[in-house]
Amino acid sequence: MSRHHRRKQRLKLRSFYVWHRYMGISAAVFTLVIAATGILLNHTEDFQFDSKHVQSDWVLDWYGIKAPQDMHSFLAGDRYITLMGEHLYLNRREVEGGYRQMVGAILNKDIFVVAVSDSIILLTLRGELIDRLQRSDGIPAGILRIGTDAGGAVIVQTSLDHYQPDADFLHWSRWDNDPASVRWATPSPLDPRLKSALQHHFRGEVLPVERVILDLHSGRFFGQLGPWVFDAAAVLLILLSLSGTWIWLKRRR
Amino acid sequence: MYLLPGKLGLLSLLTLVSTMVVASGTYQEPEDFLSQAFAGDVPEPGIIWLTGERKDAVKSLLGHRYHSLRIRYWKTAERSAWILDEIGKDQPITTGLVINAGRLEQIKVLVFRESRGWEIRHPFFTEQFKQARLNESRELDRNIDGISGATLSVRAMKKLAALALYLDAELRAFDVSSSP
Repeated sequence: MSRHHRRKQRLKLRSFYVWHRYMGISAAVFTLVIAATGILLNHTEDFQFDSKHVQSDWVLDWYGIKAPQDMHSFLAGDRYITLMGEHLYLNRREVEGGYRQMVGAILNKDIFVVAVSDSIILLTLRGELIDRLQRSDGIPAGILRIGTDAGGAVIVQTSLDHYQPDADFLHWSRWDNDPASVRWATPSPLDPRLKSALQHHFRGEVLPVERVILDLHSGRFFGQLGPWVFDAAAVLLILLSLSGTWIWLKRRR
Repeated sequence: MYLLPGKLGLLSLLTLVSTMVVASGTYQEPEDFLSQAFAGDVPEPGIIWLTGERKDAVKSLLGHRYHSLRIRYWKTAERSAWILDEIGKDQPITTGLVINAGRLEQIKVLVFRESRGWEIRHPFFTEQFKQARLNESRELDRNIDGISGATLSVRAMKKLAALALYLDAELRAFDVSSSP
C-alpha cells in the first residue's frame, strides 16, 4: 500500500471520527432523558408515580389542565361544602369518593348532612365520611331539597312528598307538617380565597407523575414534533453504535 | 372449518374483550344478597361505629382505615350479614359476607369494578373461605390459595373476610351502636 493511499485512509477515518463525535454530542441530551426516565418508569410502583400527582403550576399549565369554574357550594354552619367536578370538599378538605349533582348541605347537631349523587352523605365536623346512604338503604328517591324544620330535624323534599329520617338515618318516614316552616339549604357564593385554594387542589389531583415521565420518555411532552425528534435521536444512537464499532475495527488494523 | 391465523387472532381478541366486558359489573344486588341470606326475612339493619380501639383494629386488619366511620349489619341470633367494600387495585370490590357462630358461612363478590382479578368471584376461590374464623392474631385460621393475575383482588377478599369476622365478634362482645 502506497504512502499516499495510507494518508488518504487516515484522513477518511479522522473525518468519520469527527462525524461520530458530533453525533455523540447531539444524542447525549436525549440519551440522558431517555435513560433517566426509563429507569424511573421501571420503578413506577416502588415510587408510587401512578398515584402521585404533579403539583407544579407550569407543568399543569403546559398540559392545559384547568379547574372547573362551575362550583356548587352550600354554607352549612360556618363551613362551605363544595362540589367541583366530581370532588366534594368540606372547606379545604376533600371528602373520600366521587360525587355529582349536589342538592344541598346542612349541619345537623354535629353531623354534616349532604344530599348529593342521589345519596345522603354524613360527615363529621372534620370531614370524615361517616356513611354514604343510597336508594338501596331506604333514602327517598329524587331528593330536590334538604333543610331543617323549626326543631332542627332534617327534612328532604322529593317531587312526591317530604320525608324525615330517624336518628341513625336508617328509616325515613313521611313528614306532614307545614313546608313553609322548613329552612331549606340554598347555594352560597364561595369565598374567593377558598375558591382559589380548591381550584389549585383540584388541578393537583389530575395529572399523575407517571404520565409526565412517560411523555418525557417518548418525547410527547415537547409537543407534536417531540416524538419525531426522539425518533431521530434513536436513529442517531443506532448510527453511533455502528460508527463506533467501525472506528474501533479500523483502528485495530 | 379451517380458520386462517388472522381470523383466529380476531376471534381470540373478541373472546378476550367480551370476557373483560362481562367480567366487571354487578353480579348480585346487595339487597338480593341479603334477601337470599335470610330466606326473604331480612332483619332490621344495625350500625357498628368504627371508633376508638375498633378503628385502630380495623386499620390494622386492612392496612388502612375503612372508608366510612360506621358500617351497617343485619343480624339474627347467631348469624350476621355484611356488605363491605375494599379496593383491589383502584376500585372498590363490593362483597357480601355471612357469619354464622363466628365462622364464615358465605362470601360473595356482588359488584366488581376493576378490569382485572374478577376470577375471585368464582366458587372455586370463595369456597376456600367456608367455615374460616379468626385466630388469636386476628388472621384467618387457614391458608387461602391465590389466583395468578388476581393478587390484589385476592388480598382484598382476605381482608374483608377477616374484617367481617372481627366485626361479628365485636357485635357479640360489646354494645356497638354508640356514636362517637
